[in-house]
Amino acid sequence: MATDHAPQTVDCDAGRRRPGELVFALVILVFSVAAFWQAYEISGFTGKTTPGVFPMLASGTLVVSGLLILLSALKTRAPDTSNGSVTKRFFTEVFSLHHIVLIVLVLGYLFVMPWFGFLLSSGLFLMAAFQYLWRKNVLITLLLTAVALATIYVIFREVFQVVLPQGTLLRGLL
Amino acid sequence: MAEAFGYFLIAWSDPWLLFLTGAGTLSGIYVGAIPGLSVTMAASILISFTFKWDVNEALALISGVFFGGVYGGSRTAILLNIPGAPSAIATAIEGYPLAKRGEAGEAIGLTTVMSVFGGFIGIMALALFAPFISEFALMFQSRDYLLLGLIGILLVGTLSGESFAKGVFAGALGVLIGMVGLDPMTAEGRFTFNTITLMGGIPYVAAMIGFFGVAEALVQLHTLDVPAIKQKIDRIIPRFSDVKKYFWLAIRASGIGTIIGALPGTGGDIAALLAYDDAKRSTKNPERPFGEGCREGLVAPEAANNAAVGGAYIPMLTLGIPGDAVTAVIIGALFIHGLRPGPLLLVETPHLFWFIVGSLTLANIFLLIFGLTGIRVFTKIVECPKAVLIPLIIILSAVGTYAIQNNPVDIYWMLLFGVVGYFMKTYGFQVGPVILGVILGPMMDSNYRRAMISARQDFGNFFWAFVSNPITLVLTTAFVLMILSQTPLWKMVFGRSRNKTSKKT
Repeated sequence: MATDHAPQTVDCDAGRRRPGELVFALVILVFSVAAFWQAYEISGFTGKTTPGVFPMLASGTLVVSGLLILLSALKTRAPDTSNGSVTKRFFTEVFSLHHIVLIVLVLGYLFVMPWFGFLLSSGLFLMAAFQYLWRKNVLITLLLTAVALATIYVIFREVFQVVLPQGTLLRGLL
Repeated sequence: MAEAFGYFLIAWSDPWLLFLTGAGTLSGIYVGAIPGLSVTMAASILISFTFKWDVNEALALISGVFFGGVYGGSRTAILLNIPGAPSAIATAIEGYPLAKRGEAGEAIGLTTVMSVFGGFIGIMALALFAPFISEFALMFQSRDYLLLGLIGILLVGTLSGESFAKGVFAGALGVLIGMVGLDPMTAEGRFTFNTITLMGGIPYVAAMIGFFGVAEALVQLHTLDVPAIKQKIDRIIPRFSDVKKYFWLAIRASGIGTIIGALPGTGGDIAALLAYDDAKRSTKNPERPFGEGCREGLVAPEAANNAAVGGAYIPMLTLGIPGDAVTAVIIGALFIHGLRPGPLLLVETPHLFWFIVGSLTLANIFLLIFGLTGIRVFTKIVECPKAVLIPLIIILSAVGTYAIQNNPVDIYWMLLFGVVGYFMKTYGFQVGPVILGVILGPMMDSNYRRAMISARQDFGNFFWAFVSNPITLVLTTAFVLMILSQTPLWKMVFGRSRNKTSKKT
C-alpha cells in the first residue's frame, strides 16, 4: 500500500545533520516535556486506571524517545556550511520562500473564508497560488481557476452533496 | 452461504454502487500514479466526502480507491522511474529498464494482469480466513488488544522509519493526539485547557488530511520544476505465454503479499520488497539479470502489493487493528459510519463483510479494465505541473476537512498538522505511525484500563496475566522481541553472528 514515504527533500550530505534538525529535536523535546506535565495535571499519580495514566504513558514515551532523538542528532556531524550558514540553508532547502508564501496564502484563505464564502475565497487563493507557483499569463491562470472551481463545485456540492462554507458578506449569493 | 453470496453481489447489481467502485478504482489509479500523491492521501481526503453517504456507497468507493491506488504507483515507476507509491519501488527497479528498451506497454500490461491476479488471491484469503480469525479473536482479552495496538504502531514505526526512536515518537504523538478531549470513561477533560473546542477532541480526519494531504503538498514544493519524461507505448495486452510462465511465481508472491498485508503494521510496500527479494533468490535463470529489466522482478512485487490489500483487510475487520496507514484511514471511515470493526463485525453485520469482499472483487475487475486502457491519456495527466497540483490538493484538503463537522476551526487544525507533518517528514520521521496512534490510542487506553480493573488494580496480577495466558504470552513475546531487537545489546549479539553466517555463505 502506498503509505507515506520519506521524501528526498533535503540532500542529507550523508552522515550529517539536516539544517534545522537539531532545533527541531529540541523543540519536540520541549513539547514532550510540556505534554507530560499536562498529562500529570489530569490526575497525577492517584490511581492506576485514572484518565491521566495513559496520557502520561504516551507523553513519557515522547520524552524518552525525544531524548534519544536529540542525543543521536547531537552525535551526528553538524550540517555542511560551505554553501552558506545553517540558517540560510534552512530557509533555502527546508523551509523555502515557496513554503512560507504558500502557508501564508492558506492562512489568508482560511481567514477570509468566513466572510467571502468558499467559492470566492478559494478562487482568490487558487489565482494567487497558481500565479505565484506557475508564473503563467494571468488569463491562463484565470481560466484554470475558473475551470478548477467549477469542477470542484459540481463534483462536491452537486454530486457528493458536501456542505461548503458560506460567507457572511455574500450570503446566498456565493 | 447463499445469504453471503447475496451480500457479495450487492455492489455488482446496483448501478450506482457499480459506478462508484469503478470511479474509485479509476481515480485511485491516477492519484496513486502521480508521484507524491499517495493512496493514503486520496483515501483520507475522500472519506471525509463520504461521511454523509450510505455505508455501502462509501465502502464501494474506498475499495476502488485502495486497489487502484496500490496499482497506480507501478505505472509511474515504469514510465518515469519514479515510484508513484513506496509499494512500487521494486517495480521501478525492473520496470524502468524495460521502458527504456521500448517495452513500457508490455511491462504495464504484465504488471496489470499480475496485480489483478495478486488482488484476487488476497481477496480469497480475506473471504476464507477472516471468519476463522474473528472467531479466534473472540477469545482475545483487553490486554491482548492493548498488545496488538502497541505491536501495530511499533511495526509501522520500525520498518519504515529512519530510526526506532523516531518511529516510537511518531506513534506516541498520535496516541497523545487521540487522547485530547473528554475521557470516554469518566468524562474528565484531557489536554482541553478548559476550552470547549478541545473538549470534543481533535478531529482525526483533520489530522489525517493534514499529515497526508497538506504535508505531502508542502514536500512536493521541492520538486516544482522537475520535468516529466515521455515514453513510447506500443503493445499493452501481455502475451498469454508470459502470463503462464510467471503463474507460479505470482502465486508465491501473492502468498507473501497476503501474509505480510495481514500482519498488523506491515503493508504493501514491505510485501512488495520481500516478494521482490524472494523472486531474486528463487529465480534460477532469469531472462535478463535483475536490475536490468527482469520480468520476474516486475511480476513478484506487483502481485504481492495487490495481494496485501485483501490481507490488510483481515486484521482491520476481524480485530479492529489497522495494518498500516491506509487501513488506519479506512478504519477511521468505518468509525465515522458508526461501525465497530472487530471480532463481532462478522457476527453482527455479516452483510457488511461480504459486501466489502464483493466490492473488492469488483474493484479488482475494474482494475484489469482500466489498467489495460487509457495509458496514453494517463501519461498526459501525470505530466500535470506540480504548480497546479499543489494548490488544488490544498483546496480539496480544506473541503474534505470542513465536510466532516462543518467547522472552520478544523481546517486550521489541518494546516497545523500539515506543517508539523512536513517538518517531521523532512527530518526523517514517518507520519504513518501518527495516524495509527490517533486511531489506536483511545482503543489502547480503554483496553489498558479494563485489563487493569480485571487485574483488581494490582500490578502483580496485571503483569502476571501477560505471561500466564497462551495467546497473551505469544503477543507479549512478540512485543518484547520487537523492543529488544532495537537495543544496541541485541545488535551486538546477533549482528556478530549474522556477520559470521554471511561470511560463510
